[in-house]
Amino acid sequence: MIIPVRCFTCGKVVGSAYPEYARRVSMGESPEKVLDEIGLERYCCRRMIISHADLIKEVLPLG
Amino acid sequence: MEIETIEMGEKKARFVIRDTSPAMANALRRALVNKVPKMAIDTVEFHLGSMRDEEGKEYESKTPLFDEIIAHRLGLLPVPTDLSLYTYKDKCVCGGEGCPNCTIIYSLVKSGPCTVLSSDMVPLGDPNLAICDPDIPILELGDGQSVMIYAHAVLGTAENHAKWQAASGVGYKYMPVITVKSSKRAQEIADSCPRGVFTVSASGDLGVEKPLDCMLCDSCVEVDGGESVEVVGDETSFVFSFETDGSLSAETMILKACEVISEGAKAFSESVDAL
Ligand SMILES: [Zn+2]
Ligand SMILES: [Zn+2]
Repeated sequence: MIIPVRCFTCGKVVGSAYPEYARRVSMGESPEKVLDEIGLERYCCRRMIISHADLIKEVLPLG
Repeated sequence: MEIETIEMGEKKARFVIRDTSPAMANALRRALVNKVPKMAIDTVEFHLGSMRDEEGKEYESKTPLFDEIIAHRLGLLPVPTDLSLYTYKDKCVCGGEGCPNCTIIYSLVKSGPCTVLSSDMVPLGDPNLAICDPDIPILELGDGQSVMIYAHAVLGTAENHAKWQAASGVGYKYMPVITVKSSKRAQEIADSCPRGVFTVSASGDLGVEKPLDCMLCDSCVEVDGGESVEVVGDETSFVFSFETDGSLSAETMILKACEVISEGAKAFSESVDAL
């Protein structure tokens, strides 16, 4: 849906990392490198970003 | 108890505590997670109806997310907290009505199409109270959609809700003590370590370069059953690390956590004396 504000497991703020991650990965950078540089160390926070399906635009007209 | 700082940043701390027990290390961990208060948004008012911009275009206050989901997302935003300025709302001089000593009010007025970010939350009064991380997406708005929200942040602790938890990834491990007994299979042992703790010198000697990175996994011991290296955890020293969400600095959090522990211990000993 929309990227969660925080990591479900540890509570680190991950929402702000997603737009940057999506932009850089779409430009061909390696997801591993981008996550390292954004500063997401733990695998709980990394899965929040890599497993996210951004579907908010699909439900926009239904508001 | 002795503290040696390895890294003390604004949002990240890593340090060694010596001459202590697992109970003390765990008390510090629990205090950091649960007992250090911070500000978080607790009440959200949604204003419904339609509004018109300067060009006469009409916006309806509707959103693709349910109001309660938006309120929940607002609650999780990191609100900058100065612990010397704020008190708990129910213990405040205003008697729980809400005043500048216990409440921060934010307004959020935005019309689509756009992504509403945490930087769109405008604090009433001091602009330094803007949300710590400006780039968190709160919701998206389509054409003709708008939001008008007032949000009230109050002081609380994570005993009541995780939104008041400022620390994340709080953890500690026994201080690794690595003894090299022989360099016979140096390269093999250096390669077995997933954390790259060992180095092999030009003359083939096995050295311990980054002992603090060791996670006591015993991969190096398993190479030859402990012939070359011995790894044990020192049960009186701990490598401690945690991060904060930015609402409090790492240093403030440690000081506050220690204060909470000593206050708790004092209160406990007083109630024991009263028996
Ligand atoms: Zn996490
Ligand atoms: Zn008050």
